[in-house]
Amino acid sequence: MVQISPSFKIESETIDNDHRHLVEIINEITKAIDDGQPGECARLVPDFVAFTKQHFDREEALLAGLSYPLLEKHRRHHISLDDKLQIMLNLAARVVEHPPARDSLRKELVYFLLDDVINEDLNFKKFLAEVETDAAGSDK
Amino acid sequence: MQGLHIHGIHHAYGDTDVLNNVSLTVPAGELVCLLGPSGCGKTTLLRIAAGLEKLQAGSISIDESVVAEPGLELPPEDRKIGFMFQDYALFPHLTIRDNVSFGLFRQSKQAARDRAMEMLEQVGLTRHADDYPHMLSGGQQQRVALARALAPAPRLVLLDEPFSGLDSNMRARIRQETLTMLKQTNVATLMVTHDPREAMFMSDRIKVMGANGQVLQSGRPVDIYYKPVDEYVARLFGPVNMIEGPVAGGRLETSFGPVDSEDIPDGQIMRVLIRLEGLSLHYHSGAPTDVPVDVLTAHLLGDSSIVHIRMREGPNKGVEYRARVHGSFDPTAHGQVWARVDPRCIFQYPNPEDGR
Repeated sequence: MVQISPSFKIESETIDNDHRHLVEIINEITKAIDDGQPGECARLVPDFVAFTKQHFDREEALLAGLSYPLLEKHRRHHISLDDKLQIMLNLAARVVEHPPARDSLRKELVYFLLDDVINEDLNFKKFLAEVETDAAGSDK
Repeated sequence: MQGLHIHGIHHAYGDTDVLNNVSLTVPAGELVCLLGPSGCGKTTLLRIAAGLEKLQAGSISIDESVVAEPGLELPPEDRKIGFMFQDYALFPHLTIRDNVSFGLFRQSKQAARDRAMEMLEQVGLTRHADDYPHMLSGGQQQRVALARALAPAPRLVLLDEPFSGLDSNMRARIRQETLTMLKQTNVATLMVTHDPREAMFMSDRIKVMGANGQVLQSGRPVDIYYKPVDEYVARLFGPVNMIEGPVAGGRLETSFGPVDSEDIPDGQIMRVLIRLEGLSLHYHSGAPTDVPVDVLTAHLLGDSSIVHIRMREGPNKGVEYRARVHGSFDPTAHGQVWARVDPRCIFQYPNPEDGR
């Protein structure tokens, strides 16, 4: 089971909640694989992909609102993940009839979330903290 | 998450950046490879993870515990890490058993001895327990190094070019054995290599590093090979055929037919790269895109041959390319030969010298 450890927290409620929800979907998918319910797993992967895209949109909007200076780079990174999302959809389409696809899917989901999504999001953790500190200072 | 989590590592020697915002995750039971040329910073990253090099910026966690971040630096012996180096790094004055039990200093002598023998049994070297390293072959010494790395049941194993000191037959055997043992122990493993084939064989994920200490591409071996993000990554896997030309009407004409360049503006000079193994040769034309070629030379390498071909007709008549074909190829056995391209092995990138 995947868990978000403190080292993966961005300390932004919106983004951390999104990450938490992505983890929940991954754990549901993993459970479906372990319980021998590949049909359920195939149904959940498009949800994961759709929610990931919504998360990217929410995150970009949030960062744009805060004038994050590396937004364009982060946006390009999101676009570069389209292929990986497609790989997951392809694997999901095969999990019912092709058992080895299940382990590949499980692995792909974990790397995607931890390595490609959260690790990249950690790049703006410091920026968000600084924005919050500035805002708190100006409220005084 | 069980495993290794590295985030935001920057590292410089003086004014020279050797690592530039490197992040990676290695879940328990997985093997991630850092692939890149000498000097790209991959060994430095391994040394920082091990605690052999002081962290300058970023953070490192192993199994949820922070082992290094600014202001905190756990010594190597407290990180529960196993190492395996290119030169084996066995102590010449210690027996094989004592080499394996060396890192078990927190256990009683008897427990350490028992664990060492257990590990030597796993690598098939119990009969050499009382020998000294110089009495063993390179492959056997590397097995001892693996046994020593895994003896303390580490949370993370770091491999630095572990097989490069071995001859090719021994290397293939030892890396298979190493991979099997690492997977059996379910430990997170971070490996460094400059050998793309080794990275492809061993890894669950590959991180390709460039000369500027940045990660250029991260993905499954199949993605790195078939979807390289740029020319540098494409060329890592060996020589390629290169065709340059301008895009016209959303396509670029090559000797082997048009390449789709829909999103690229007309007039942009592009480079098309074709892997040698992406060109196959046939004695009969079987597809409308097959093109007739003359064979100039063929060099048998054992499991494959490098064949030098020349376009026989068309606007590119006389242009030469190379192909890698399976097994031997006898150009005198047949007359006409046809070349066919595997579309998965064609890549196009902007020409870096085209200033638009």
